[in-house]
Amino acid sequence: MDLREEDILGNNIINKDLRKRIIEIVYNAQEGHITSSFSIIDILAYLYENILKFDNKKPLWEDRDYFILSKGHGCVALYVILQKYGFITEDDLRQISSKNGILGGHPDITKVPGVEASTGSLGHGIGTALGVALGLRIRSRDNKVIALIGDGESNEGTVWECALVGANLNLGNLCCIVDNNGSAAQVLPVPDMQKKWDAFGWETYVINGHSQDDIQNVFGKIKFEHNTKPKVIIANTLKGKGVSFMEGHGSWHARIPSADEFKDALKELADD
Amino acid sequence: MTNLRNDFSKVIHQIGLKDPNLVVLVGDISHYRLQGFAKDCPGRYYNIGICEPTIVNMAAGLSKVGFYPVVHTIAPFIVERSFEQIKIDFCYQKLGGNIITVGSAFDYAYLGCTHHCYNDFALLSTLPNIELVYPASYEEFDLLFQQTYNNKFLTYFRASMYGHELSFKSDDIKIGKAVQVQEGKDLTLVAVGTQLQSAKKASDALKAQGINVDLIYIHTVKPLDSQMIKKSIEKTKKCLVVEEHGIYGGVYDAVLRLSLGIDGLRCFSISIPNDFIRDYGTYQDFCKKLGLCEEGILKKIKEEVLA
Repeated sequence: MDLREEDILGNNIINKDLRKRIIEIVYNAQEGHITSSFSIIDILAYLYENILKFDNKKPLWEDRDYFILSKGHGCVALYVILQKYGFITEDDLRQISSKNGILGGHPDITKVPGVEASTGSLGHGIGTALGVALGLRIRSRDNKVIALIGDGESNEGTVWECALVGANLNLGNLCCIVDNNGSAAQVLPVPDMQKKWDAFGWETYVINGHSQDDIQNVFGKIKFEHNTKPKVIIANTLKGKGVSFMEGHGSWHARIPSADEFKDALKELADD
Repeated sequence: MTNLRNDFSKVIHQIGLKDPNLVVLVGDISHYRLQGFAKDCPGRYYNIGICEPTIVNMAAGLSKVGFYPVVHTIAPFIVERSFEQIKIDFCYQKLGGNIITVGSAFDYAYLGCTHHCYNDFALLSTLPNIELVYPASYEEFDLLFQQTYNNKFLTYFRASMYGHELSFKSDDIKIGKAVQVQEGKDLTLVAVGTQLQSAKKASDALKAQGINVDLIYIHTVKPLDSQMIKKSIEKTKKCLVVEEHGIYGGVYDAVLRLSLGIDGLRCFSISIPNDFIRDYGTYQDFCKKLGLCEEGILKKIKEEVLA
């Protein structure tokens, strides 16, 4: 599947409300990674609405599917989704990064219902996902396992250890999504991402990570079946997608908007 | 002769037959020793490859879905290379599991510094939610593994290639409890793991000379049986710790902390200096050079502890 740059840069912004929530939360907390959350929010929204099986009243339900956010700094996107689906409350979101809150700048499995791994140090979540996928295969269970990593995270050697091991063990119940937002290119590029995963023995797909159609199509094709190749989706995305002055790379990686920028961002995300 | 490098797999095999939640991941070591487990516990043995951080990481994932994982490979590659995986994936996330290493301290004397690991207890004891165990006989490994393998902690087993060759009643071997091997009033001798053998010989030699040693054996480094050690050093006011571990962060350091406030206490250690051992030779050569032997203990006691 070929993907042109203008498809990612296009103006068809989905999930505006979730983006607004992310900005509000980060602005109020004065902490958080807006642009890293924006690049993954469309994928997360689709997964929780259409793909993942879960029970918000029983976050550890043994029939649930597992979603592991390996790039933990994108957690505000996960938090707004967990609130939307009833794992955590509006009050939890309001108290993010406060002394009484359960939500911080990286997710904590011991505090937050629905969080499957305490991530933050990069290159860990995908390995945990491998172990979960192997454990489910040993138990002959058909739960899906999905890990989301970053392209910057893919500088970590453990990602490629996992790529090798996942293919060698034929963990076909595992799907890794690469949020290919170009972060790696700023420092240590990871060129030919699809070819690399293909060479490691994974079943590869490339999509526009902001296109509802692309996301839907790819999950229509993927079969989570034991003892087949593990799957990887290279999701081409844009950091800050949805607010023009935040898009791309530069100071917005961990920047907090000023009062005026906050208003301007909300204006851009207002319904047409 | 005890050699847990060879024998730990028998314990794993026996428990694996009874408990379907035991899963073993190795980093291309002990593969043939574990074939009994692999054959009788199908689907629960994996020689993952030479990628220690990922093995530890995967083990945490297995723990998440209810298994009791065992990770096994050489000590420095697990403890030092994969320290962050141990810290975050197990300890921070409060997941239970087991690490069994071989080649701690200088068990692989002849392989050089890359295969030595003098500071495993020092590094790992800084982490919460972890137990550190140093069994130096087959029976101890068997008992301590059975007591801990399915609990909520990450349990680190330093499986020695050498044993102390002493035996105790099963009831005396309990996680977190020291063993009072011999009672005395003249000095406290704390022997850790394999060094119990040398310490016992030295204690017997001293007894023949009218010096009575309070000999305490440590197989669990964390949680340490502080109570038994403190009671003894308050009584004798003289202490020697003998351990195949770096001078910093081992049992000696823990005893020094315990000794705060005990007037007149004199505390010494025979341990591994803060340096790389660049020599080659046998385990016994290294022990002799460092004084981790009967003669070394007697010399230290006569020339320093009782001087």
